[in-house]
Amino acid sequence: MIKKTLFLLLIGMIVFACSQDESTAPEENNDAFDRKAMLVNWADNIIVPSYTAFNTEGNNLVSATNSFTQNPTVETLQQVRLTWIEANLAFQHVSMFEIGKAEALNFRNRVNVYPTNASEIESLIADGNYDFSLPSTIDAQGFPAMDYLINGLASSDEEIVAFYTTNGNAQNYKDYLNTVAETISTLTETVLNDWNNGYRDTFVNNTSSSASGSVDKLANDYVFYYEKALRAGKVGIPAGVFSNEPLPETVEAFYKEDISKQLALEALQATQDFFEGKKFNGTSKGESFKSYLAYLNTIKNGENLGNLITTQFGITKSNVEGLNTNFTVQIESDNSKMLATYNELQRNVILLKVDMLQAMDISVDYVDADGD
Amino acid sequence: MRKLFYPVIMMSLALASCSSDDAAGDVQQDIDVPSNYTFERGGETTVQYPGQTIRLQMSAELIGSFKNFDTATEASLLNMFAHVEGASDFDNTALNASGKNIKSKTAASADYFSANVAESAEIKADFESYISRQVDEVFPNENTTAEAGVAGQIADGSSARYVTGKGLELNQAFAKGMMGALLADQMLNNYLSTAVLDEASNRENNDNQVLDGDNNYTTMEHKWDEAYGYLYGDPSIPTANPNSVLNESDDHLLFNYLGVVDGDDDFNGLAQTVFDAFKTGRAAVVAGDYQLRDEQVNIIKEGVSTIIAVRAVHYLQAGKGAIAEGNMGGAFHDLSEGFGFMYSLRFTNNPNTGAPYVSPSEINTFKTQLLEGNGFWDVTPETLDTISETIAAAFDFTTVEQAAN
Repeated sequence: MIKKTLFLLLIGMIVFACSQDESTAPEENNDAFDRKAMLVNWADNIIVPSYTAFNTEGNNLVSATNSFTQNPTVETLQQVRLTWIEANLAFQHVSMFEIGKAEALNFRNRVNVYPTNASEIESLIADGNYDFSLPSTIDAQGFPAMDYLINGLASSDEEIVAFYTTNGNAQNYKDYLNTVAETISTLTETVLNDWNNGYRDTFVNNTSSSASGSVDKLANDYVFYYEKALRAGKVGIPAGVFSNEPLPETVEAFYKEDISKQLALEALQATQDFFEGKKFNGTSKGESFKSYLAYLNTIKNGENLGNLITTQFGITKSNVEGLNTNFTVQIESDNSKMLATYNELQRNVILLKVDMLQAMDISVDYVDADGD
Repeated sequence: MRKLFYPVIMMSLALASCSSDDAAGDVQQDIDVPSNYTFERGGETTVQYPGQTIRLQMSAELIGSFKNFDTATEASLLNMFAHVEGASDFDNTALNASGKNIKSKTAASADYFSANVAESAEIKADFESYISRQVDEVFPNENTTAEAGVAGQIADGSSARYVTGKGLELNQAFAKGMMGALLADQMLNNYLSTAVLDEASNRENNDNQVLDGDNNYTTMEHKWDEAYGYLYGDPSIPTANPNSVLNESDDHLLFNYLGVVDGDDDFNGLAQTVFDAFKTGRAAVVAGDYQLRDEQVNIIKEGVSTIIAVRAVHYLQAGKGAIAEGNMGGAFHDLSEGFGFMYSLRFTNNPNTGAPYVSPSEINTFKTQLLEGNGFWDVTPETLDTISETIAAAFDFTTVEQAAN
């Protein structure tokens, strides 16, 4: 009898728990916030200018690569390297906008999947026959493949240049490097042209508050980028958060060695600027997630949620700044600092993905993949 | 919102364990249920299931070989499926020395197939066709972009998925189909079947501690452990306390998905429920309490069947969502896993009926609906919802959403 009573009590508690949950479910959100103004600010002041700047860097990358392959010297190699860094930094400002043509092209994956697959690259170069539109070549193209080709082939610049001069397969190395650079540039131009030829209007006019509306979609893309590409890709995976051991060889720009922190900081700043609606390369701010939250007057722990998120961006930034310029060195010398940085990044996952999206009544449209 | 639909299934599991507690009350002094799956006689363990471990390893290596484009052949894969002792079919040489194989235990349970050999042969042929078609259709198109009606590769995030012209990943259909046709079928419908546990003089021998040849176990104890081995037999899972590596083992078969389902708030506790039933049932065998044993069998049947159903609904719904976003590569991966788990429903066992929760003819209809025309390229959300709802209803899930997240 006692057990039966306990069981009834348990059911009662379950029912109680259920009704409690109901009270915290997000309210139907028919607010009057000017979504259109936010979409216009995003498109005209941030997204299109960011792609325009990245497209310029992509063109520079192709020019520098062509100059190098026509005249492979240490000097022209170093010029490729400089433009590669500039382009890589500019990419950090567009990677989060995986929407429209970028989504259709699988843009982020084709430009920046790392670690790159060096043995696959070598086998494609040896073969001389490859098609970068095939998904199986995703880990053999983009910035990480270039990283291998201009930084990772050998330990000295002279030896790297030799792959493009005296190596028996020098022509194939040159062709491959040019094709990688041209593919980055062509993909970027395709996305930018789409924004400039109609997609901008489609995007800003799709003000619906449903899952197919621009705000809901880009909010999901943004949070996904922050969670997967920034938090996990740049910090969590190399620090071993998702594996039994740290994986220092999985840091971004592994072969260049000393820019992983710079890239992470650039990406962090770009995500914060977008959150706050800050104009690309400017200081003025327009309608944004943050101003939307202010409009909704969302309070968490007694503070405005938007301010909490901005504060957390700042804390995270100073954490990253305290790391070694080369994350591989940081992981191998004192991984606890990488893990501490991961924890700070994670705090904003909660605030953005749970609190912000709930306040805006936006459903998360992605789930964690199984990994199989 | 999801929590609103609190799982009816968990309540019924809770009920089942409550009533078994009551039943155990009379004889509780006699039953010593250990905290771990540790059973000994004369200071030596009585628990062994090497044959199950070998078959799980064979399955894992065969599934991994589906994408060995450069080295695998139709013959090499079929030989792994129907391995004969001494043949060099596997990289793992210990497997080569074994006289066991996967094929002979596929759709081969006492309860479902001993008098149903025609269907058993059809099911074996399905798995062999996955192998043959992988080599005949998918391998030649390794470097072709998949389209409706054209096999090849398709992007799923940063991965490439290799699919048939209908969008089906045959390696996923094979792997997730094996969960039912090999693991669940052998576990639920064979080793936990009364026909097997109580075969011949098993009860009498068990009551009198008559051991199985030179072994340290009675035949009934061993049958029970062989069921246990199909769930917990991966070498990375400790026998005594498998849940200590829940969601952390190297297993990619049922134990892995038990962990995944257990991690869903709606089904939290399932891993403990199933383990407790295995442990209690094994203790009941030792004590000769066959009523208590069979109550635990029912809990295991319901629990393991639930893993398959939840993942089937989950993947069909995930596929529907991915199609809506235009992510066809992701959708095909989900739907291929969903297809395999749905296939596996044929081997579930509803303890109230002794039959699958969803009838074989219904499952066949679903298979046809998913793959007709261009298959996953043009499957409709309505079809995916109808199948999901049918499965959810058969398992008394309160909604599809309960299993889908």
